[in-house]
Amino acid sequence: MKIKLTVNGLGYERDCAEHRTLLRFIREDLGLTGTKEGCGMGECGACTVILDGRAVNACMVLAVEADGSVISTIEGEAKGQSLSDIQAAFERNHAVQCGFCTPGMVMSVKELLAHDPKPTESAIKEAVEGNFCRCTGYTQIVEAVLDLTGRPEAKGELRHV
Amino acid sequence: MLHEFKYLAPRSVAELCSALSDHRDDGKILAGGTDLIPNIRNGLMKPAFVMDAKRLPEAARLAWSEKDGLSMGTAVTINDLLRSKETRELFPVLCVCAHELASHQVRNRATVAGNVVNASPCSDMAPALLCLGARAVLRSAGGERTVPFGEFFAGVKKTVLKPGEFLERILVPAASRGARGSYLKLKRIAGHDLGIVGVLMVRHGDSIRFAVSSAAPTPVLVESVSAKDSPDEAARKVLAAVSPISDVRGTKEYREHMIGVYVRRLLAEVK
Repeated sequence: MKIKLTVNGLGYERDCAEHRTLLRFIREDLGLTGTKEGCGMGECGACTVILDGRAVNACMVLAVEADGSVISTIEGEAKGQSLSDIQAAFERNHAVQCGFCTPGMVMSVKELLAHDPKPTESAIKEAVEGNFCRCTGYTQIVEAVLDLTGRPEAKGELRHV
Repeated sequence: MLHEFKYLAPRSVAELCSALSDHRDDGKILAGGTDLIPNIRNGLMKPAFVMDAKRLPEAARLAWSEKDGLSMGTAVTINDLLRSKETRELFPVLCVCAHELASHQVRNRATVAGNVVNASPCSDMAPALLCLGARAVLRSAGGERTVPFGEFFAGVKKTVLKPGEFLERILVPAASRGARGSYLKLKRIAGHDLGIVGVLMVRHGDSIRFAVSSAAPTPVLVESVSAKDSPDEAARKVLAAVSPISDVRGTKEYREHMIGVYVRRLLAEVK
């Protein structure tokens, strides 16, 4: 099936097998390998991209479902040598260790900040709850976001934590 | 690599009904895809045709009216509910359950209809729909019928949907407006997980309802608890309605114990 979509501001038109996931399409057909495959089943969030304004697991979306949509991936963040604000905040706060979860983590944070420019700590935790990190322990990731946006007045905690 | 199938994106209900009628045995409806796609990937389902319900004109419609209550189209996502002011204000019970379902990315994609059509015993939306007296509008080429959720689940991963039928809308009656409740879901980790057991308690006027997930072949509604019952009596009534088993997420005994704990905790919490 022929599909047309916009990824990081560039238009693409491709023939795509109907059973191909959006993740495979982005990585293998478009060559944008910043988006990672972790579990392939929606548990780990390594494949998180922004699809029409919302963070989704690209491993559970078919490429043909995304026909006509607008997608952002990690490759759209840095402009030349200059990091995006979120990337720079991650770097400043040592929120990256092995880096495998980082593209998905940055996309989840990007969606959060698009709708909530000054999130509470609990909102940040909830936004990245679906992104597994096995190195930094999340603390630096939350700190990176708070460093970027400033600490809001209201503080809350994640429910059931 | 996924098993190969043909993708159909019907643009009208009539077109979907006709495709469903043609593919009673080898077709699957795709809504959010958060269950279907992993199931295909894991070889648990091998449909020859996948029919995307999201391109139907009314599929994403979430509408409230005094007359019809809250109506959710087949493609309304979990986060659509959480972002809807009317749902949050009028039917907070839907939101307490929606908030416990999976992770943010999954909630952006997963649908309410899919969560009940899959008929998993651990469905998080089923307890809310059961306690609020919601109904499912089922459509096929032959017409439509309405089934209360109390009669919708037929067993583990089984519903009363017949081949050729799909869940077109979910209706939550206006009479349930203002019902309050809380959902306690026991998980193996603090983050997102399938439930070991989940208990929802809803108060509306003088009525008390409980619904329990992951404790029987289907989600279970318990209407026998009254405001006069002691916490122990209430816990006994809820436990009498369920039949938990031991599995990979927990033992029968642990589930039973925690249902009792949750019922007592909810009675104190939901005033």
